[in-house]
Amino acid sequence: MGSALETGTPSFVDRFPQEASVVKSALMSSFIALFLGAIFGLIQGLHRTDVFRVLDSQFYYTVLTAHGVLMVVSFTIFFLVGVFTWAVVRSLDRPLEDIRYTWAWYGLMVTGTLMAVTAILGGFVPSSGLSADVLYTFYAPMQAHPLFYGGLAIFIIGTWLAGADWFRSWYNWKQEHPDERIPLQTFMVLTTMLMWYIATIGVATAVVVFLLPWSLGLIENINPLLTRTLFWFWGHPVVYFWLMPAYLLWYTVLPSISGGRLFSDPLARVVFVLFLLLSTPVGIHHQYLDPGIAEGFKLIAMTNTMFLLLPSFLTAFTVVASMEHGARQRGGRGLLGWLRALPWRNPAFTGMALAGLMFAAGGFSGMINAGMNINYLIHNTLWVPGHFHLTVGTASGLTFMAGSYWLWPQLTNKPLFSRPIALGQTVVWFVGMALMSNAMHVMGLFGVPRRTAEPQYQGFDFVASFGSITELRMQLALGATLLFISTLMFVGNIALSSGSPTRSGLGKPIRQPLSPAADSPEVLDNLKLWFGIAMVLVALAYALPLASIVSGSGIVDRGVSAAPMLIEGVSGLSPIAVVSDAVSRVGVVIAGVLV
Amino acid sequence: MEEEQTVRELGHDEFNPNGTLALITLYFLILVVMWVFMYFVEFLGNELTVVG
Amino acid sequence: MNIHSYEKIWLVVAILLIVGFISTVTYGATAVGIDMVSDDGGTVNASALDEDPRFSDPRVEQVGDNEYEAYVVAQQFIFKPDPITVPANSTVTFFITSPDVIHGFEIVGTNANTMVIPGQVAELTVNFNEAGEYGVLCHEYCGSGHHTMEGSVVVQPEDEFENGGAE
Repeated sequence: MGSALETGTPSFVDRFPQEASVVKSALMSSFIALFLGAIFGLIQGLHRTDVFRVLDSQFYYTVLTAHGVLMVVSFTIFFLVGVFTWAVVRSLDRPLEDIRYTWAWYGLMVTGTLMAVTAILGGFVPSSGLSADVLYTFYAPMQAHPLFYGGLAIFIIGTWLAGADWFRSWYNWKQEHPDERIPLQTFMVLTTMLMWYIATIGVATAVVVFLLPWSLGLIENINPLLTRTLFWFWGHPVVYFWLMPAYLLWYTVLPSISGGRLFSDPLARVVFVLFLLLSTPVGIHHQYLDPGIAEGFKLIAMTNTMFLLLPSFLTAFTVVASMEHGARQRGGRGLLGWLRALPWRNPAFTGMALAGLMFAAGGFSGMINAGMNINYLIHNTLWVPGHFHLTVGTASGLTFMAGSYWLWPQLTNKPLFSRPIALGQTVVWFVGMALMSNAMHVMGLFGVPRRTAEPQYQGFDFVASFGSITELRMQLALGATLLFISTLMFVGNIALSSGSPTRSGLGKPIRQPLSPAADSPEVLDNLKLWFGIAMVLVALAYALPLASIVSGSGIVDRGVSAAPMLIEGVSGLSPIAVVSDAVSRVGVVIAGVLV
Repeated sequence: MEEEQTVRELGHDEFNPNGTLALITLYFLILVVMWVFMYFVEFLGNELTVVG
Repeated sequence: MNIHSYEKIWLVVAILLIVGFISTVTYGATAVGIDMVSDDGGTVNASALDEDPRFSDPRVEQVGDNEYEAYVVAQQFIFKPDPITVPANSTVTFFITSPDVIHGFEIVGTNANTMVIPGQVAELTVNFNEAGEYGVLCHEYCGSGHHTMEGSVVVQPEDEFENGGAE
């Protein structure tokens, strides 16, 4: 980890200018996706509550697809590759092996995103023949344009190449430092990527083996239960892909910002190993109410999921203890009085602290989601988005924004445009999210569905056992509006920072942990061992369910026909014709959206 | 932005996270109460539970 | 490995909490008798529902003393039959499938909730008590008319049902 504390430290861009350039680009892609996604989120929040409807309801689903993909695929994962590149280079104290390779995988990610987003936005321009009104989960037999599936596949390949980049850096560093423990940040990056390689087996198979060829007309049928199960094979570990960069910031940056030191490096390693082992063999908990999957498999998923709570519980302790250490070093006293000694005027600190607090609540609604039979109460209701806006939306999202306040000046040598606005932004986010998510959880308990443009029905009314549905809708709309304002505050502040004068000495060092890596058994660094065990656990959790689905309804189900979410279907055309066709349609979309 | 103001250094053996223990105990209690309420009141108290 | 005693305490407490959650769920599955939707419903040919004796004629049928089966088809953008009529004080087993895309089936304000996947049959059994009416909605996006997809379950007083109140 870093060297001793000193003022006027050289910044990351001073030491590694080429690497800083890539990190900045990745973060900018992330912020652009956040901004676009936020516009769509606001439209949704006002539409489904019947506060303000600017589009016809059928376009709600185009908006929803865009919001989902931009937020949880683009915003989160571009941020991850930026932060992970920074973390590896910084903790190994070594430039990347081949910067052109790095730009290449980044370029693939951008290409894939543009392809998928174009296909989605094509849904607003019916004459384009392009659309992907299938939502972030793209469940077959609803079918999108091949550009959508192709874009996702290329994006994921980009992330695989990114992981290889960081492994290569570590491997070369290891030749020069054969007896040293893996620096903590690099350890976190590598274990997260090993988890990702395992997790993406599911979605890559679904997309590359089934959905993409099917959308091109190369195969005629697919088995919707099979592709759905392969999606959720990935669909749970991806949430850890969203959380791990936030955890990396909480473990390695937040303690120093708090004025203290990380309470325990060894425990941080244990936590990341647990995530590598347990993140994937749980995906069936997203399918508790699916027919075609035996109850025994659901029970196994439930038990695995409950144990997956453990690394997050441990994180809560270690991170809060690290903050307490900082507060007491700053002079804080008393059982709880030390809380006041924390640097609440620092937006990076306050953002991460509020994100962690909100995560404690989001974690609880996740525990309910995990509870197998209690899932009957809340499955596919508005409770579910209530939950994940707390977790990916805040624990990850707000931490990413707070972390950016800390990191961005070190990438640009320019101070942040406004600290008060940044601080205000974190509070507005917290309040907006508290209002929106609370309304979502409560409405979900009354049966209000998620993913629905107009949850106002003819034949019945929702019965609120406390409060009123109308009040809850207003609360949701208000929360969504505050979140949008907060997003503008964030993006604006970062953008305006480019006008700040360049300064030196903006580097921010990171202190050594209280309990160092040397205090932990070396087996923790044995990545091959943990990877092997993780593969075994995944095989145990998924071999039988997948075999049972295939034997029950086939590897493809000839009884199920494609339901193209398109105006004109493209199946039956040759792939080359489809691609050139798509390119010309992209032109129509761009023209249609701009005009 | 203000720099961290270190008033004193606390080493590994001098620091006991008492506040953290208190907060995490509070969290634990909230979780237990909320879980029991959600499961036994909201869920089991609801109609048409699937029994087969 | 150097773990602070407080963190060891929390580790034990956290594991106990996890075991507590698992035990609660197990209690629900065993003592309360809650079954999960599973593969018990079997598979079906989604493009040949009109050849299936159950789904060619979606209806409620008596199969025993106070025991009924409801054959339901969820499709873009309706539920068949609509309404689903059952008598009070009955045990009803729903068999639900789809000829087109994935849908949801939720009896609003209750725990009766399932996914409906073409090619699969979702089977769930619930007990109806007093007479009344429930809304039914689809909670899985299934196309541009998804938000219009609703139905209802009408629970009739027993004598009204026997006298052929509805089907």
